[in-house]
Amino acid sequence: MFKPRENQVRILQYQRGKMGISAVPGSGKTHTLSYLASQLILKGELQNDQEILIVTLVNSAVDNFLNRIGGFIREAQLLENIGYRVRTLHGLAHDIIQERPDLAGVANQFSILDEIESERMIAQLSAAYIGLHPEIVSHLQNPEADLSSAGRARNDFSSLVSKLNQDFISQAKDLQAEPETILNRVQRYNCSDPLLQMGIEVYQQYQRGLRYRNALDFSDLIRLAYTALLNDDGYLQRLRQRWPYILEDEAQDSSNLQEKMLRLLVGPQGNWVRVGDPNQAIYETFTTANPKFLKAFLKEQGVQEMTLPHSGRSNLSIITLANSLVQWTRESHPLPSLRSALDYPLIEHTPPGDPQPNPPDHPNAVYISKMKATADEEIKKVVENILNWLPGNQDKTVAVLTPIGWYGEKMAEALHAAGVPMVELLKSSQSTRRVAGLIEKILLALDDPNSSKKFTEAIQSVWTWDTVEGDKLNEIKSLLPLLKKCSRPEDFFFPQPGKTWREAIEPFEVSEERLQEFEDLRLKFTRWQKASFLPIDQLVLTIANDLFSVPSDLALAHKFALLLEFSTHLHPAYELKDYAQELAVISGNFRKFSGFSDEELLFDPDAHKGKVFISTYHKAKGLEWDRVYLMSVNNYDFPSAQPYDTYIGEKWFIRDNFNPQAEMLSRLTGLLDGDEALIFAPDGQATAAARVDYAAERLRLLFVGITRARQSLVVTWNSGKNKDKTMALPLEALHAIWRGTDEAA
Amino acid sequence: MNPTHLVLVVNASLTEKQSAVITAPARGSLLVTGKAGTGKSTAAVLRMRQMVENGIDGDSILVLVPQRRLAFEYYKAIHSPDFPAGSQPQLLTFNGLAQRMLSLFWPLIATDAGFRAAEPPRFLNMENAQYYLAGIVEPLLLQGNFESLTIDPNRLYSQILDNLNKSAVVGFPPGEIAERLTSAWSGKTSKSNIYQQAQECALKFRQFCLENNFLDFSLQLSVFREKLWPSLLCRQHLNQTFRHLIYDNIEEDFPVAHDFVEEILPNLDSALLIQDEGGGYRSFLGADATSAQRLSGKCSSQIRLTSSLVQTNALANLETALRESILEHRLLKYDSSDARSSYTIHSFRFYPEALDWVTGEIVKLLKDSTTQPGDIAILTPYLSDALRFSFANRLSSANIPFTTYRPSRSLYAEPAVQAVLTLAQMAHPSWQSKPSPQQARSAFAMVIAACDFVRADLISRTLFKNRDNLFPLLSFQGLNLEMQSRISFQVGEYYERLRAWLNENLEQGAHELDHWISRLFGECLSQPGFDFHQDYDAASSINRLIESCREFRKIYQPSAKTAVSGAGEEFTRVLQNGLLSSQSNPRSLFETNTDVVFLSPAYSFLMRNQPIKYQFWVDIGSSGWWSRLDQPLTQPYVLNRNWSINQKWTDEHEYLNNQLTLARVVTGLVRRCSAHIYMCSVTYNEHGFEERGQLLLALQTVLRSSARLEGSADV
Repeated sequence: MFKPRENQVRILQYQRGKMGISAVPGSGKTHTLSYLASQLILKGELQNDQEILIVTLVNSAVDNFLNRIGGFIREAQLLENIGYRVRTLHGLAHDIIQERPDLAGVANQFSILDEIESERMIAQLSAAYIGLHPEIVSHLQNPEADLSSAGRARNDFSSLVSKLNQDFISQAKDLQAEPETILNRVQRYNCSDPLLQMGIEVYQQYQRGLRYRNALDFSDLIRLAYTALLNDDGYLQRLRQRWPYILEDEAQDSSNLQEKMLRLLVGPQGNWVRVGDPNQAIYETFTTANPKFLKAFLKEQGVQEMTLPHSGRSNLSIITLANSLVQWTRESHPLPSLRSALDYPLIEHTPPGDPQPNPPDHPNAVYISKMKATADEEIKKVVENILNWLPGNQDKTVAVLTPIGWYGEKMAEALHAAGVPMVELLKSSQSTRRVAGLIEKILLALDDPNSSKKFTEAIQSVWTWDTVEGDKLNEIKSLLPLLKKCSRPEDFFFPQPGKTWREAIEPFEVSEERLQEFEDLRLKFTRWQKASFLPIDQLVLTIANDLFSVPSDLALAHKFALLLEFSTHLHPAYELKDYAQELAVISGNFRKFSGFSDEELLFDPDAHKGKVFISTYHKAKGLEWDRVYLMSVNNYDFPSAQPYDTYIGEKWFIRDNFNPQAEMLSRLTGLLDGDEALIFAPDGQATAAARVDYAAERLRLLFVGITRARQSLVVTWNSGKNKDKTMALPLEALHAIWRGTDEAA
Repeated sequence: MNPTHLVLVVNASLTEKQSAVITAPARGSLLVTGKAGTGKSTAAVLRMRQMVENGIDGDSILVLVPQRRLAFEYYKAIHSPDFPAGSQPQLLTFNGLAQRMLSLFWPLIATDAGFRAAEPPRFLNMENAQYYLAGIVEPLLLQGNFESLTIDPNRLYSQILDNLNKSAVVGFPPGEIAERLTSAWSGKTSKSNIYQQAQECALKFRQFCLENNFLDFSLQLSVFREKLWPSLLCRQHLNQTFRHLIYDNIEEDFPVAHDFVEEILPNLDSALLIQDEGGGYRSFLGADATSAQRLSGKCSSQIRLTSSLVQTNALANLETALRESILEHRLLKYDSSDARSSYTIHSFRFYPEALDWVTGEIVKLLKDSTTQPGDIAILTPYLSDALRFSFANRLSSANIPFTTYRPSRSLYAEPAVQAVLTLAQMAHPSWQSKPSPQQARSAFAMVIAACDFVRADLISRTLFKNRDNLFPLLSFQGLNLEMQSRISFQVGEYYERLRAWLNENLEQGAHELDHWISRLFGECLSQPGFDFHQDYDAASSINRLIESCREFRKIYQPSAKTAVSGAGEEFTRVLQNGLLSSQSNPRSLFETNTDVVFLSPAYSFLMRNQPIKYQFWVDIGSSGWWSRLDQPLTQPYVLNRNWSINQKWTDEHEYLNNQLTLARVVTGLVRRCSAHIYMCSVTYNEHGFEERGQLLLALQTVLRSSARLEGSADV
């Protein structure tokens, strides 16, 4: 039973109108919002065809909300799933377009290109562009960098160009600009920037590619849903009637278009509750997301402004550290333009008797390392610390956060070598990847039916799909090497009249039961071989029906079937091995694929006590652990717009410390806003502005990192690849403040 | 009441009103109306027979239907052994009639209509029209036309043709298409640009047809209507040929067909017009129930059939409840206790669970000896290949015979068709496209009976080599003995026979590929030792392939733009690219085995127009039951006589129209059910999305209200 605290109760009294809630980390905003939704449903004010619409940032949050609201609704003994709809913004946009595709200029039964396919397409187009326009290389290249040989620099350069185009396209879509519009502006302002020229051309080609496939990408979804709403007032009114209440979570990461779309859906008299924490806005770089939208909303006339300042998540020390970061930034940051990066209110400890109290404080709650260390030394130090701490804290949760993924992978390797148990945050769930992996192996075997190695591997995977142990496992293990040596697969699968399949492999002895299983598997394979004439979707379904009995596995296979069928349209020449490759990227966890099982995407740190969780700072958002390690807090990963800082966006092989993304997108914005100062700004101006924006976002990222910890926090840094990086400025300040607190104590 | 009994009653004896229809004098015009299931067509078929028995010449009777499928009952009657000998009544659609007249009077009107009279007319079917249209539109696409649309080219072509067809069936000049569409568009961003581009494509295509003596569907209708029908000669001919008319399902036909009937009506000896109350399923194709209404005023007498011979009371109550909850969002009158027995709703989390359940229920139903497979239909809003296949698998393994009907299934998706085309490519090394080793492997395994997949792989690795302008198959004898024995001498023998046939007929199908395939099939693939020997499904696929190929050849003319020269190569290329996709073969419509489970989209079931005992509605949450197939370049309700120019099509129209469509479809289904409807809902649809379409919402309203009335909460 949820017991709200006082300021949560005030929010739960909401009835109608617009309300903005600024909530500190750990203040129970998701819980409060879910409870509010269930209250609105239970009050029975909705008509049969009305729903409460809840909009969240990511898929995991959708499940989170569904579970919580479902729980409240069940408690009240009502029908679940009726009267509310939880969607990410993309999910909502999909719903809107699907109902009236004509308004969005889309034919129905359109497909959605996922990020991997979209990146692939842009990468191909970018490579083709570089080939035709070598001048783009000389425009960007640092004269001292050698890009001529096929080395790492050349690859880095290609992926940078591809990334530039990706950002250009997604920003243009967010600003609702078609390639032709941008082209017209370029002509109007007589602007000859080679980066813009490239962006426009790749954008044009990319759109043409999408159209041919009757596909949309993620940015299109929102852009076109907004167009559909603008296009038909009647449709808009109907949706307003359907969703009389809109509750929005993580509103600090709202983009320009999200804000516009939801505002339109709510309407001037509508009911809109927005919850967010401007201090946790960490998705702004090269997007139009900005916490300023939420801040402005809170101050809008007619908006009831509420705060959830109490947090029961962390102990006093950690709360104090997080608040110190806010205060130092507001009052003492050496760069005045960065002082607004973090904002009040400060986090408040819960009052006595609170239903969700803070964990107890202790003297070693915070440790900030001042010592200079190389990356390897930093990793070594943290591993040692974990090895010391973990054995005595098997009932606790712990996470190591790094700013970029590959550093986390290095950390994972080190922990693995030290024998420390770990948990990973997955793009797809274990079962999704297993199912994909199994079908992949079978397809590879079917593609090359004379390879005994491939079909042995596939048969092994099928045979050991359910856990196999003891004698059974030994028997299987004794059989498989014989199968692998089979030199005439045709006699194994399809023995000639008068012969048996056993003659195709060396003699063996196994139990009757195993023999029967082996025979069954062999027959299944022959059936699939016969089915390999079928279109890929039907082949996958045939295999799945033979293999799986768990409904979620079958449903997954059905989804894979449709995914592969869609690849047929994208790549008509695909053969079995190519489809297998498509599944390999899912099974290898390179591609996000939403499956069905309950574990999917919903990650609960508390289910993994005594194991170390490794993640980036970004992905840790919304989660919490008893102990948290924040790594790599140096002036490269957390720069402060100081003259000695270096930036991830400024590559060594690009001339003049030039941040091409910043320059390109700033000109794009200038063109679309008609701002000539931006269009014709000297090179470097946008780079400088981007440094400040980036530094501001990194301050908030540090704040997010700190507030993930409940009971203890360890912060370390390293001197980087060239051993020339220093401790991040805010960390230095925190260290000084913290030591002061220690001494005072 | 036992519904089986009801169905039997239909066959055994007739209601008084049905008898009145059958025995009405063969003079004057009679309109028969009634809901689906009241026995209208049954009476009309018997009347047709009665007329012939009474000495009226069969071929003086014109049976006009909006779609060939709707003539099925008439066809069955005419072809039954006890039908009176002599000439037969003519079963035609309006378009079929137009084609027949055009062929007959071609020299009379060709020049006037802008064609060359010296050459015969060449009728284009939908696929072939798309093929030529593609040649016109492709260059325009490259120039940047239709940039603001997301649509695959095949659908683009079909919508441009659709606009032309609408202009023909409604009766306005094609030059008005863009203006009509633009004036109705209420969106704030302009679409006039793309409408204009669509119209230009349509007009260019029209011009192309005129220059080449091609008549697509739209030209057939408009030339007949504007040039031929006004001529006295044609009128006299028709007047002399047809003295009696039976016109069924008038609500499913086009306004220009109604115009035509309205004109001939006064001169006929007798006319029987039949109207299904609540029909109008083909409205997105241009059918116009309002326009049909016009004809009813012209009939001298009228009979309304009122009692359903199909529905139980409970189903009638369900029909009312669903219609009210769709159209009014609440129930005005509803006898909950009775309707509840006519349907069951089952909820599942995942799609495959629902499919298993449906199959299991069908197995249970069939255990009862009074239920036959033909008493059962599985209905979905859309039928994807994956879904069709999943059902097919389950039904086959439960030994349940079934048939699927899905108009858009691609011919190239049939493995037998792929195999034959691969062989055709092998035998035409001069063609630009070569089969891949995998395609070759599939073809061998598909056609040689003794050849399994693994041995086919060996053949493809050792005996198949693509070489420029050379036959790619090598001799089996050339292999070493080890490999020969691995492939097996038996397989080798048939491989050699196949190779010899292909070699003898090298490059001979360049122009008349249909003949070539037909010979390949007859002389080789259907012989003992080959897999198509006694495989009737494969034979029927190959049959369709040959027919499609022949149609294509008849209208094919090489253009400077296509790199290939022969019709055969071009046909193979476009089929593989998915352009010639339709399997709709008018002949096959009448050949269906009827005692099988019918698996189809709901719409196809309605157009089949036959009642059934049990219906399974799969995925009632899908929005496909509700939303119309969106066509960004056309608009069936705007390109319509009932739409006044300059009126705006708004979301309110869209919504009301969709609600009406849903009500019409649901009512139509319930009226065609005599025992029970099983509905299943799934949380995650086929694509893994959660959907809550309007049908589900309507059912919730029904359920809630029934719970309220019964005072129970166990819904």
